[in-house]
Amino acid sequence: MEQDAFVSIRNLTKRFGEHVAVNDISLNVAEGHTLALLGPSGCGKTTILRCLAGLETPDSGHISLAGNVVFDHNARVNLMPEQRELGIVFQSYAVWPHMSVSENVGFPLKVRGVAKAEYDDRVARILNIVGLGAWRDKGATQLSGGQQQRVALARALVHQPRLVLFDEPMSNLDTQLRDQVRMELNILQAKLGFTAIYVTHDQAEAFSLAETVVVMNLGRIETSGPPRDVFHRPRTPFVARFLGLNVCEGKLVQANATAGGQVEVAFGESLRLRGLSGDEQKLTAGAPVLVCVRKEHIGIRKLAPGAIPQGLSGEIRAASFLGLNEEYVVALEGVELRAVQPASGLRAGDRVEVSIRPEDCIVFLAGQNRLD
Amino acid sequence: MQESTAVRRDPMTAATARAQSRVGRFAEVGLPASGVLIGVLLVLGPFLATVIRSLLYWDRDQVSLSLQNFVGLFGDPRFYQAVGNTVICGAGATICSCLLGFSLAWIVSRTDLPGRRWFEIFNLVPFFLSPYVGAVSWIYLAAPHSGVLSRLLNQYLGLPDDFIRIYSLGGVIWVLSLFYTPYVYLFVIAPMRQMDAALEDAARVHGASFWYTLRRITIPLLTPALLSSALIVFVTSAGLFDVPLALAAPKGIRTMPTEIFQLVQYPSDLGRAASFGVVVMIVTVLFTILQRRYIDRRRFETVTGKGYRPRLVQLRRGGRFAAWMLEFVYLGSGVVLPLIALFMVSFSRLWTGRLDPSVLTTHNFEYVLFGFKLTQTAILNSVYLAIVGATIGVALAVLQGYYLNRGSRRRRALVDSLLSLPLGIPGIILGLGFLIIAIRTPLYSTLAIILIAYIARFFPFATRTVSSMLLAINPELEQSARASGASWLQTMRYILLPLLMPAIIAAWLLLFVIFIRELGATILLYGQGTETISVALVILSEHSAATMTALAVVQLILLLGAFMLFRLTRASLLQA
Repeated sequence: MEQDAFVSIRNLTKRFGEHVAVNDISLNVAEGHTLALLGPSGCGKTTILRCLAGLETPDSGHISLAGNVVFDHNARVNLMPEQRELGIVFQSYAVWPHMSVSENVGFPLKVRGVAKAEYDDRVARILNIVGLGAWRDKGATQLSGGQQQRVALARALVHQPRLVLFDEPMSNLDTQLRDQVRMELNILQAKLGFTAIYVTHDQAEAFSLAETVVVMNLGRIETSGPPRDVFHRPRTPFVARFLGLNVCEGKLVQANATAGGQVEVAFGESLRLRGLSGDEQKLTAGAPVLVCVRKEHIGIRKLAPGAIPQGLSGEIRAASFLGLNEEYVVALEGVELRAVQPASGLRAGDRVEVSIRPEDCIVFLAGQNRLD
Repeated sequence: MQESTAVRRDPMTAATARAQSRVGRFAEVGLPASGVLIGVLLVLGPFLATVIRSLLYWDRDQVSLSLQNFVGLFGDPRFYQAVGNTVICGAGATICSCLLGFSLAWIVSRTDLPGRRWFEIFNLVPFFLSPYVGAVSWIYLAAPHSGVLSRLLNQYLGLPDDFIRIYSLGGVIWVLSLFYTPYVYLFVIAPMRQMDAALEDAARVHGASFWYTLRRITIPLLTPALLSSALIVFVTSAGLFDVPLALAAPKGIRTMPTEIFQLVQYPSDLGRAASFGVVVMIVTVLFTILQRRYIDRRRFETVTGKGYRPRLVQLRRGGRFAAWMLEFVYLGSGVVLPLIALFMVSFSRLWTGRLDPSVLTTHNFEYVLFGFKLTQTAILNSVYLAIVGATIGVALAVLQGYYLNRGSRRRRALVDSLLSLPLGIPGIILGLGFLIIAIRTPLYSTLAIILIAYIARFFPFATRTVSSMLLAINPELEQSARASGASWLQTMRYILLPLLMPAIIAAWLLLFVIFIRELGATILLYGQGTETISVALVILSEHSAATMTALAVVQLILLLGAFMLFRLTRASLLQA
């Protein structure tokens, strides 16, 4: 595994004064693979990217790219950014305002002393690929945000680096453009076959672009895996909360017989829910736990006045229109949950019947996680 | 794209890569650091020299380390007279130029006064003129008996001949105020423009009158800018040698700069001069620290660039008349009248205090440019010093600015305050420091020592200009060049320097102007053959008004040329 890793990061630590931005992180990325570093702002994801590019000097650890050691604290190796042969797209795009589109894009070729004919050829081809063929002689700052993003992308790809780094590449684009660019990036990468590392705080971006998603928190890796695994089975309460799941505190009533088996959790006086244990170890009765439920997995149905609910009963506190769906805040005996479901016209104050399937609830022991 | 291969540099061994990386880092870290180091040496050299010299006391041939120089200084009533007069001049000039600068900035930026675009440009002209020439022009205008204005006032209004009394502290304050008004004006006009109009509008909507709003909202909001410019004007105007030399010294009125000049003249007492210098340095540094503290504390609570632009005040007839009068009085006294006086004298064969068309001649200019060794040398020296000095100064400024904005964060604050120490130090004090260093060395009275003194005294202005622009350049622009494969030097050449060019040009022109007219430091350092234009003006002022004014006009043309370039290149003085 270590041997054929294209990007290998081992025990990377970076401090800014007292603050530990990256805390002893190890990561591998295979050649041609796409990795997304996902997490809230300040979790250290951008610092890792900057350490990879050589824009930040780590305090300890080891980084190698394509089999070459580019940083090693113990061996005192620290190659400069320009020696690492990569491409980068910044959040601000960093398109040089004093150069035209083609000068911007051709810059990596210029500093590598590429001959004029090949230079022109490559610039023209990459501009066509990103759809800026007609804009080559425009001043870079005359472009819209989306076009600047393409210039930055073309510049990062023109010399065909084997690794391209993306620092929140889409956060300055509007939603429609973002979806479009995301698709195009997928196609480009399949076509050009570069290894890519994305940094983002947008889960949709991470899940749609990457083959591996690494969720980070406070300088450490919270979880990593294929998008579907990370999405469907959050490994920690932090991941659950970050992905937008309901996370409620309760007390374990009945311990599970086997690890990962069903458990029963009590909230307040009378509310009880069943769920699956998310932790590896056995949980003991009476332990404080966190129950995580996806908003879309909470079923609510309006109760006719006077009807007696079959399952749990609750009251709508607030409703907001999201288009095809509506989001509701439901109060269940003192516990507030958020539920998303197809618009059903419920209003604040309506009494509802709430159904939650035990297999949709993940139960974690509380107090283990740093952010609980 | 698919079939083509990647563009890479020739593969190198890990060892070569590492070696190259060491060399690269040396340039990246070493060059900016060396710029800082030179700056620090330039600052500390004259400082230490002055301090050490002030502690050395010569008793016949016996040299000892003692405080005797300070004892002598503090026991001398002339010291207190000089300090008192200097404080009066500085305070007077500060108050007048704050009032003038604030009013002019307000008129130009916040009213609908017709012609305000022109006034906006012309209000800055005095910034580019030589205070020494300004003072001398005012002598031609207002000296008793011979002054043009004095004569007119006497003739038409029957006022006494010495009504204006230009040779006095009042005269010094008047001329200083004319020259320092643009400093306040520049400091105040930017925040005045960017101020969120909602702040004032809210006051008006809630019932405040125009004047009440001005007093309780506008002025308090601008106080940080006003106060910090006041501190700068006080320190620099009090330390200016040019104006007291022309207007106070002839009547025996002592001021700090002229007194130090006297102490260096034969029979010189360098120890006493150095101890005076140390006192001035301490006071100046205290003021500079005060100003920096104040700015640091208030910077973010003042005004933002957001919100909408202030509305223009519509002046009624009376207001418009008053605004015009103020502009005419300022531009008249600061630019037009001195220039008229200068031209009248320089084109007259013999100046008698009266313009006589029959004696008009261009002979003075021919003589200054082609016939007179002293003025020819002076012009060449000044142009040489200005061009070479500005170039070196700007190069230092770029390296220092880079260090201050991109270098290691840890030492930044200390380096920044060290490098801005000379900002307020009077030229004559720094000149004294370099005189002490150079005396009895081959450097003594060479152009080289004058050049070093110029750069040491004024590089912080260039550093500020470059630094403030660097602050606005996103470091990611450079980082993406590095990640694209450019070395640090290539990144400088292709990315950062082109982006910084407006600031570099502004800083260069600023230094050029300052060096062309510098007098305070030069007067102590020049020797035979290394006179500058300003020094030649002082020498000639005692001999020939005609030659002197012709030379002053030559200097004026150089200064105004730089001003025109400023306008042409659209370099912003505000950056300075």
